Amino acid sequence: MARETREKTNVQEKQLIRDLATLLNETGLTEIEIEKSGLKVRVARTVQLTASAAPAAPPAVQTTARERAEAESKRSESDPANHPGAVKSPMVGTAYRAAEPGAAPFAEVGSRVTEGQTLLIIEAMKTMNHIPAPASGTVTEVLFENGQPVEFGEVLVIIE
Amino acid sequence: MFDKVLIANRGEIALRIQRACKELGIATVAVHSTADADAMHVRLADESVCIGPPPSSESYLNIPRLLAACEITGADAIHPGYGFLSENARFAEILEDHNIAFIGPTSEHIRIMGDKIAAKETAKKLGIPVVPGSVGAIETAEEAAHVAADMGYPVLIKAAAGGGGRGMKVARSADEIAAAFGTARSEAKAAFGDDAVYIEKFLAKPRHIEVQVFGDGHGQAIHLGERDCSLQRRHQKVLEEAPSPALNDAARQHIGKTVATAMQKLNYRGAGTVEFLYEQGEFFFIEMNTRLQVEHPITEMVTGVDLVIEQIRVASGMPMTLTQEDVTISGHAIECRINAENPTNFRPSPGQITYWHPPGGLGVRVDSGAYQGYRIPPYYDSLIGKLIVHGKTRNECLMRLRRCLSEFVIDGIDTTIPLFTELVRHPDIANGMYDIHWLENYLTTRED
Repeated sequence: MARETREKTNVQEKQLIRDLATLLNETGLTEIEIEKSGLKVRVARTVQLTASAAPAAPPAVQTTARERAEAESKRSESDPANHPGAVKSPMVGTAYRAAEPGAAPFAEVGSRVTEGQTLLIIEAMKTMNHIPAPASGTVTEVLFENGQPVEFGEVLVIIE
Repeated sequence: MFDKVLIANRGEIALRIQRACKELGIATVAVHSTADADAMHVRLADESVCIGPPPSSESYLNIPRLLAACEITGADAIHPGYGFLSENARFAEILEDHNIAFIGPTSEHIRIMGDKIAAKETAKKLGIPVVPGSVGAIETAEEAAHVAADMGYPVLIKAAAGGGGRGMKVARSADEIAAAFGTARSEAKAAFGDDAVYIEKFLAKPRHIEVQVFGDGHGQAIHLGERDCSLQRRHQKVLEEAPSPALNDAARQHIGKTVATAMQKLNYRGAGTVEFLYEQGEFFFIEMNTRLQVEHPITEMVTGVDLVIEQIRVASGMPMTLTQEDVTISGHAIECRINAENPTNFRPSPGQITYWHPPGGLGVRVDSGAYQGYRIPPYYDSLIGKLIVHGKTRNECLMRLRRCLSEFVIDGIDTTIPLFTELVRHPDIANGMYDIHWLENYLTTRED
């Protein structure tokens, strides 16, 4: 049981790092650090303040202070735990997006859900627990990966 | 050796376990309630898992959530600390079934010693002297009166499922026995879910002296000396010292050998404490705690043994690091349990610590998860730290303790430090002349 969990974790970790690296490039940020379920990952790029003589290699991206400040404020006001539509985990376990491997996910970003409808399953000690939507609405964010360990109070999904 | 230990506790003992694990190179998982998200040991642990809201029943006592946390982190052992599930035989059994190591004794030994009647019977069979009392549970008030008359008043009626000073009623004469018996039964039922009670002789002015034992689970067991924990308020220990000022070396070796031999016969595994009442040169067994105790640091200071490291080693199948011949008691140690309480009326004082400056220097140890800015949650007990002091002699230890108490600054909340400042200056404490009623008498006269 322990080895399966470790292998699952390694795959998730690599995916997380890839995702962060992509995010870094897309947003033009220089550094992203994330801590999640006890795992802390930091990806950073060094910024080169070179003169603009045409370089052979692609130039290092520089973010302006304004861009960085905007990104910062966006992060703090969008702390998922404070969102009124946040669905938080009521238990400790492993979260799954679908009823079984290969099946369609219960909910995706954009899905309309009704109160009581299953959003995800959390497995603990070989029991599967259906987590219902507390209210009707549209799923605007899914904040967990399939097979991710989750703790009590962790925000899983946002419904608006 | 374990790869990863899950710490199923909170506060200062969780930090204590975290430290031992780190010294053994073991990864740690700190489980915590939402109220403890900023606890020091949670910040220091390699991983943390929030397992529930503040109430203990939904977090630290919640076995399914603890197991789920093991499952998602891959922890291969759990250290239960003290209190909470540390003496829950069912929890130990469940972990045994799931192949997760329980860092402590077997569920069988927890069960035997958890039932205070069975524990006494077992102690007797193992040659440990016990308090004169009833054989087995007392079913009726008539039986109680009969047994009490035989034994001689005053007597103490105790809950079989109690322990730790809870569930006890005194009857001083034949007039009181029926009422005391009835009340004891109904209180026991309410508090422990079991109304079985037994009777013991009530000792007038005993000291509480307990012996630290340790076994490897395969027949090797040693004692690490005694602790005097007579200074208690409402059956809660307030200050402890090792060795006891009341014992000479002969008495110490004798009782130590008696309990060590008993633990060898039992094949006891891990740390344990055998508690006695000591009066007029005689020891009377009251109970055994099959776990690490709050006051274990004073034994560590005088023996130089890290008891938590020993626990982890033995639980993982390794031998103990020492034999009885290796154990030496050197110098003297005193521990003060510092509670977030008003020092006069003991009202709990949760809140934020605005200034924290602990004492330091040679022979000074502070076991606490508190820090400047820490918010003490109101949901748990009020122990915020332990001040432990060691000296080459008891006098040196007392002087050091006085100095430490004057240096220790905790602002923003009430603490019991002023109480210790008074105690340490009292001639009875300085002379080591006190019994289990001393502190309550002192507190009552102080009010006048």
